[in-house]
Amino acid sequence: MNVLFIAVFLASSAAVLLSSPESFLPALLSGAEDALRLGVTLAAVYTVWLGFLKIAEDAGLMRALARGLRPATSRLFGTKDERALGYIAVNLSANFLGMGGAATPAGVSAMNLLDAAENRAYAQAMLFVVNCAGVQLLPATVISLREKYGSASSYDVIVPILLASLLSLALGALLVKLVYGRKKK
Amino acid sequence: MIAVYILPVVFLAVILVAALRKVKVYDSFAEGIQGAIPLVLSLFPYIAAILILSSLFEASGLSAALERALSPAFSFLGIPPEISRLVLIKPFSGSGSAAVLSEILTEYGADSYIARCASVVYASGETVFYVSAVYFAKLKKKTPLAPVLIALASNFAAILFGCLLCRVL
Repeated sequence: MNVLFIAVFLASSAAVLLSSPESFLPALLSGAEDALRLGVTLAAVYTVWLGFLKIAEDAGLMRALARGLRPATSRLFGTKDERALGYIAVNLSANFLGMGGAATPAGVSAMNLLDAAENRAYAQAMLFVVNCAGVQLLPATVISLREKYGSASSYDVIVPILLASLLSLALGALLVKLVYGRKKK
Repeated sequence: MIAVYILPVVFLAVILVAALRKVKVYDSFAEGIQGAIPLVLSLFPYIAAILILSSLFEASGLSAALERALSPAFSFLGIPPEISRLVLIKPFSGSGSAAVLSEILTEYGADSYIARCASVVYASGETVFYVSAVYFAKLKKKTPLAPVLIALASNFAAILFGCLLCRVL
């Protein structure tokens, strides 16, 4: 990522220097402002969801969910760490149901727990790639946006969206297995 | 629309079960919230770095140039050139791509082929760079490049497939 960051930063800075040097600092500051605004939003989102997740955890519901998904998750992520699998289960189901606010904190906790796992690099890459595929039962944002702009059949994109994300999921998981499986040997 | 019922029902069910199992719901809720601000603080530096970079990239005109350069290649692969801006902004910014999607829906009509492709592009993958910033923020080993490239590649494949589906379905 450092290489990518340096490359994009240098190329962009050079282009700004040639076209409009006065817009350099405003561009950096506006990015920082976006980050602050997003940070405030995220703090609110995590406040609600982390509180809710703790209730679910104390009620034993997270353990139940983890047990239910374990045959699939423990094979896909190659770990037996109960707590990590619990957070992974919450992360995957929350994403699937369109509860992004719950998915992220659970995903971050799972990533941190996986840091101690034997196959750390593989499991973390897998969790990240699975999350990036964005498999969702109902893409609520898109449907409500389409309705807002006068769509007559706002639901007709659900099937292509689901199939496309499933392809991304399958391909991503396969590539992670190929890349990290080979490295291990 | 069913989606609006999912959240309240999940909350209701979880709190009901917790109450029946004698969980101190109020205390648990407060205890969970304790983690919220520290979590945001630990993620903030990485989110800020990505957003500052995206803003600079946009301001430099490079993203517009890249869009012009890639449009022909995209349309050769079956992605309508009208949505190439969305394809490029998607990995960087969630709010940015929502804004672009709104523009496309307004300009071409929400039921057009272009709008349907744009909907698939928007919803069939996540904001890869943002997710990478968040997920790898607290780890000892910093963000590796391979998973990011894998996610970008599989999401691009999903876009190609999605545009194809929009044409036949």
